[in-house]
Amino acid sequence: MNQLAPRPPVTVDPISVEVIGSALSSIVEEMGEALVRASYSTNIKERRDCSTALFTTTGETLCQAEHIPMHLGSFLAMIPLITKRFPAAEIAPGDVFIGNDAYEGGGTHLPDIVLAEPIFFETEIVAWAINTAHHSDFADRGHAHIYQEGIRIPPIRLYRAGELQKDVQDLILLNCQVPRERLSDLRAQMAANRLGVQRMQALCAKYGRDVVLSAGNALMDYAERKMRAGIVTIPDGTYTFADVYDNPEFDGEVPLSISVTVEGDAMRLHFEAPPQMRAGFNMTYTALLSTVYYAVKTVVDPTILPNAGLARALTVTAPAGTVVNARAPAAVFNRIGPSQRVVDLVHGALAKAVPERVTAASCGTVMMACFSGVQPTSGDPWIYIETIGGGFGARPNKDGLDGVHVHMTNTSNLPVEALEVEYPLTVLRYELAEGSGGAGRYRGGLGLRRVYRAEADCRFEFDTSRIRSQPWGLFGGEKATGSQLDLGADAKPLVLGQGALDRGQIVTIQTPGGGGYGPAAERAREAVARDVADGTISAEAAEALYG
Amino acid sequence: MVWRIGVDSGGTFTDVCMFEDASGEVVVWKVSSTPDDPSRGIAEGVQQGIENIGIAAGDIAYLGHGTTVGTNALIQHKGVKTGLVTTEGFRDLLEIGRQKRPDLYDLQADKPEVLVARSLRLEVPERVRHDGRIETALDETAVREAARALKETGVAAVAVSFLYGFVRPEHEKRVLEILREELPDVFLTAGHEVAPEFREYERMSTAVVNAYLGPVMETYIHRLAGRLKALGLKVAPQLTQSNGGVIGFEQAARLPVRTVLSGPSTGVVAAQAIGQMTGMDRIITFDMGGTSSDVALLHDGQCRLTSEAIVHGYPIKAPMLDIHTVGAGGGSIAHIDSGGLLKVGPQSCGAFPGPVCYDKGSTEPAVTDANVVLQTLNPTHLLAGRMAIRQDLSKAAIGRLAEKLGLDVMATAQGIIAVVTANMARAIRVISVQRGHDPRDYALAAFGGAGPLHAARLARELDMQRILVPRYPGILCAMGLLLTDLRADFATTRLMVMKADILPAIEEAFAGLIRDAGRWLDNEGILPASRRLTRTVDMRYQGQNYELSVPLPDGPVTKATLDALVAGFEAAHKRMYGFIAEGETVQLVTFRVEAAGLVRKARFEPMTDQGADASSARIGAREVWMPEAGGFVSCPVYSREALATGNRIAGPAIVEQMDTTTVILPGMTAHVDAYLNLILEDA
Repeated sequence: MNQLAPRPPVTVDPISVEVIGSALSSIVEEMGEALVRASYSTNIKERRDCSTALFTTTGETLCQAEHIPMHLGSFLAMIPLITKRFPAAEIAPGDVFIGNDAYEGGGTHLPDIVLAEPIFFETEIVAWAINTAHHSDFADRGHAHIYQEGIRIPPIRLYRAGELQKDVQDLILLNCQVPRERLSDLRAQMAANRLGVQRMQALCAKYGRDVVLSAGNALMDYAERKMRAGIVTIPDGTYTFADVYDNPEFDGEVPLSISVTVEGDAMRLHFEAPPQMRAGFNMTYTALLSTVYYAVKTVVDPTILPNAGLARALTVTAPAGTVVNARAPAAVFNRIGPSQRVVDLVHGALAKAVPERVTAASCGTVMMACFSGVQPTSGDPWIYIETIGGGFGARPNKDGLDGVHVHMTNTSNLPVEALEVEYPLTVLRYELAEGSGGAGRYRGGLGLRRVYRAEADCRFEFDTSRIRSQPWGLFGGEKATGSQLDLGADAKPLVLGQGALDRGQIVTIQTPGGGGYGPAAERAREAVARDVADGTISAEAAEALYG
Repeated sequence: MVWRIGVDSGGTFTDVCMFEDASGEVVVWKVSSTPDDPSRGIAEGVQQGIENIGIAAGDIAYLGHGTTVGTNALIQHKGVKTGLVTTEGFRDLLEIGRQKRPDLYDLQADKPEVLVARSLRLEVPERVRHDGRIETALDETAVREAARALKETGVAAVAVSFLYGFVRPEHEKRVLEILREELPDVFLTAGHEVAPEFREYERMSTAVVNAYLGPVMETYIHRLAGRLKALGLKVAPQLTQSNGGVIGFEQAARLPVRTVLSGPSTGVVAAQAIGQMTGMDRIITFDMGGTSSDVALLHDGQCRLTSEAIVHGYPIKAPMLDIHTVGAGGGSIAHIDSGGLLKVGPQSCGAFPGPVCYDKGSTEPAVTDANVVLQTLNPTHLLAGRMAIRQDLSKAAIGRLAEKLGLDVMATAQGIIAVVTANMARAIRVISVQRGHDPRDYALAAFGGAGPLHAARLARELDMQRILVPRYPGILCAMGLLLTDLRADFATTRLMVMKADILPAIEEAFAGLIRDAGRWLDNEGILPASRRLTRTVDMRYQGQNYELSVPLPDGPVTKATLDALVAGFEAAHKRMYGFIAEGETVQLVTFRVEAAGLVRKARFEPMTDQGADASSARIGAREVWMPEAGGFVSCPVYSREALATGNRIAGPAIVEQMDTTTVILPGMTAHVDAYLNLILEDA
């Protein structure tokens, strides 16, 4: 009975497309709001590390509300994986599929748990409600391969026709370090999808199923047209760029390079990278796609709708089994690290074609600090992960933003007054890192400095990049400073970025700034004077850099 | 004769609405605003208004005022040079905020300008812990040095905001004392005074906005008070806050951060009053102006109060009516984007050059042009015949869009309306479905210059059955000022887990708030019989970070109160999120007291039924494009002024009045109620 809906043959006028498009956006936004507000873990409730979407029955993104670009297209694989495993006839209303595996489960790393629910209208599936939330669990793990990184879940039913499969849930929760939070966040994810199902059914009842689905197709065509219209404005040619990626897990630098070919209204992006490594910083192909979609969208047209149409003009290739296109069982926990470098590659290459549309390198990392242990009073296990923003690259006509999350992420910080109540940590300083932005006609944004004190013995994990390299400037702009970590004089050394902290130990983290744009000598005098007055650079540094 | 006056001072006009208690007579007076010093326009408006009705200023029993002075200073960055004193290590928090960038994909987007320059943000050693313990005592020498350094720079205001200042405010209080000694003429404010609640960035931002606007509002309010006194006004004038209640001028001058939504909140208050009059307690307001539209939802007759919002880019923790604004109005421009879809706004033609039909040089069609082509608006004249327009220009402009879309002119004009309607519907979904309310259970109250024109289609888009168009849609905000009580809100954050032994702690939290509320009511001169206190608690499951507000039952706090709180919380959680987390620990977070001083308000008396026949109000007919009827259809046109209680009109029809036009679609009927509201219903 549950046949997949065939493509309906209705033509819908451009105005109805716009009207139904508004309704679809409003559905996914509403799902996202429900997810954030009902969740328990700080990573979702305050940092909004989650995303909601509607998908077509063939697995194309119909509409998405992403809070961070890493999630743009990050569940691209989920629906095909479900329909491959389960014939349509066996899928019933109220079934909810859960998955997280980067290779078999619709995620890009194990903490992103995806929930998908079919949307039935009358007797058939018309679309899918789907969402992902980053569960901050699986802490203090190894990253030699994915088996060390947490439980791998292929798409399986968490609910069968509305009935919770408690066995499945119990198995998953036993593999989590903070099961109570996981359970509550899963409930919030359920609530979000349920809303999506109801709203989409109401939309089909109002406009007719065929009209809604045809409008969905038209919206994808529309995103494609906008993408192509934007690419046409970039001069034809092949543009190349190379950079390195470094990470605390690896003593060396990983060379990465790109070749971008623009031909009329299409763009081909080819990446070269070394073979995948025994470390957490490999990317799956879907993570590479998300990254490329983000990077190209920022240059071509930031307003393109986040649906499957935007991908049609792009061809993305990278040799299989490499750091940027890993095969199982490569570890992928920190895939967002190299993805930040992939954005730098795309922007670096396109700087040669459209210098007025790109920025100098931003901080180039998602600085992650993860603390875990047991609560001194209750003995309960706790895990706290935070990511710290950095400098935004200087822009063609203005300075880069100071102390923000760049490119693939945009999560909020956790208020100190919430953090210190929940975890045995004290934040001593949280400030802009003076002098960390690259000098230039326009200055790169400043990195951040955050100083913690451990109030109990705990485990600590530190992940970043730009330790050995620095964010580059453009067209004569200077480099920014890189990542810095200070654990104090007699600290035990970290191994592969992991180690232990003693009660009372102070940890100082400084994130990289953004690169400068244009020669420093061309910076306006007033701008230099303002930087000195604000203390964003010292008077001596100003003298040395700007004369 | 007892006259009450409401004055709404907008960007273009200052509306004065005068109401006589005994007769129920309403007189409206409009003068041009004087943006360089709005108090001048207000005084002129009031003077002309009272001369017009022949009374002296001393006879005025009440004067309420809504202002956009604070909002405008915030939007245009015209506040004063402001300093900040904060905990060592945290001066950049004001700039870092939540460390998010302003737009996910736009590399050129900027954050809102930070209101205190880095060199004016000074740190002092001190540290209070979350449990109230003092870890580092306040370094008073450093405070004095900071005060002197700020004095050097010539700041006109200083905000003080420390970590956990809401838990234990003594450090902030001591800094205020020292600053008062060192900087006697400077406007001072502290985090614990303006927003004693957790989340340090939002509290700091609120304190800074308050300081930044303080001297501006002080100057404005003192000037206005002086002018009104000079006119001979004997009563103390009142100002509307963002929560819809009014407060005295002195209090408003101290807490300007609480008046940033002063303007739109009065429209919502008026809608609340109309709802009460007509017995409708579920209303969605739709206030559509030239460049933006405000929507709000009234449940049980009341608009929800939110305790925090981002206003013009700055987080503000203050009680505000939950008003949602979208950047689309009658002046929004229609265009085709690079992907070939029709878009409307956010660019607006403004008052100058205005829409194409004004013939003042604009060539890009606005929403108004679409209405002129469709003839829902009068195709030859606007403003009750005062302003001639050119429909041919509108038609040509829309024709150019139509060609690109491959549609005809009328379908394109109708398309512009459909796109605007969809935008508005999305805004209404934000305040209704996203908050767990079904718009089909609500009536749509349409006002503002363009609200009644678009309300019928918006209601159908959302399956809303009933529309209310008030008698004076264009001056509803001024009228709202005659219908509001004095109100102030008091809050304190005390984290506690729900169990039997917290009863004394709850009582203690409320006792402090009630004391503060009582002091405020004393100052405002409100007699005990006219005082109303409402207590609420913001609650959540332990581990969540967003709270739901739950009302506390009247009477003493007992075991039964706790049960009622849990039940109220669970019901709210179920409505918002669709589930109850059985067995989870419930937490109480912020305790709130809303104090109201009931004042005499304008009362509108019901009119007697004049019968269903509306033919005497009919002033003509015109062809109006209504796709619902298959194209152009002849519509009778009625004069709003001539419609009387009980009159009924069957759609399609048009009702014109000086400040707006109401569209009644085929299949709808309209009737005039006892208070001269026009009620549209889908048959």
